Amino acid sequence: MIWLLIVAMGIAVFLNRYAFLEPRLPLRLSSNARQFLGFAVPGMLTAICGPIIFLPEHQLNLSPLNPYLLGALAAVALMLWTGRVLLSLLLSMGLFLILRTGLA
Amino acid sequence: MNPSALARQAFLHGAIAILPLSLAVAPWGLLAGSMAIEANLSAWQGQGLSAIVFAGAAQLVAIGMLKSGAGLLSILLTCLLLTSQHLLYGLSMRPLLAVQPLRWRLGLGFLLTDEFFALISQHDERQFNRWYALGVGLTFYIAWNLFTFAGIVLGQRIPNLQGLGLDFSIVATFVALIAPRVRDVPTAVCVLVSLFCSVLFSLWHWETALVAAGLLGMAAGFVCLKLQGVRR
Repeated sequence: MIWLLIVAMGIAVFLNRYAFLEPRLPLRLSSNARQFLGFAVPGMLTAICGPIIFLPEHQLNLSPLNPYLLGALAAVALMLWTGRVLLSLLLSMGLFLILRTGLA
Repeated sequence: MNPSALARQAFLHGAIAILPLSLAVAPWGLLAGSMAIEANLSAWQGQGLSAIVFAGAAQLVAIGMLKSGAGLLSILLTCLLLTSQHLLYGLSMRPLLAVQPLRWRLGLGFLLTDEFFALISQHDERQFNRWYALGVGLTFYIAWNLFTFAGIVLGQRIPNLQGLGLDFSIVATFVALIAPRVRDVPTAVCVLVSLFCSVLFSLWHWETALVAAGLLGMAAGFVCLKLQGVRR
């Protein structure tokens, strides 16, 4: 039962990933479509982050002391300032953990 | 250099390029592994989720739904909707990948994650190297599975691992991918609209919240871009 679910989920996710990579699918992308898809990284990745930041434990948290919010802002600042991915990740995660313990 | 040496070098470059993100996914992988154990899945099933499904958000939601006794079909449908951003990624990478031979399409298609897309979609037809892409995808796959394994082991020993806020790692990772791209007004508009809508739709408990918010953000950015073009 669980294995059936795991394999079925695997197929579902793979279909999403592969569908438009199939050349037999008759489809040509216009320049407008390409421009639109150019926003996929900022658009989709932001959407995934939104609820994690503002809805921790499924509760709306708009407080400026929300550790997720402060951690995310720190990550933005660090990334723009240093331009180094791993450094920004480690420092912002460290700050998040400190804030989380400190503000709890 | 002969072709196979070039291929190996490209593969290695890809592996190195994804290394920071592969390390950053550690907390998220730990969470996926430990939550599977907490939901009474066997260690093999927990690992199987990461090895076969290979989609963090879908795995975590599926585990949560299993715990709350949801049915097979509703979990499957949620999973399909939750990962539908990959349709967009596939569409966007179509010019690069649809021309590849079948085994490359299948392989790179399977490895097409948020992180893979963020890295590889910067390349145009000339820059694209499938060995580089394979290095990126495979390294991330191995890292994800290793961290899941660590989560399974730790989850059996340390209770309440998910109370630690491990999900922040995904925010930090995605922020690192997004922030350098926000260089113009349309992209900024896209990010703001997407952020606002994702929170709002999630509050409304839409199962399609994330994809709907992402699409609206993309549409807002696109409209903004067109308006700029008109004004100039």
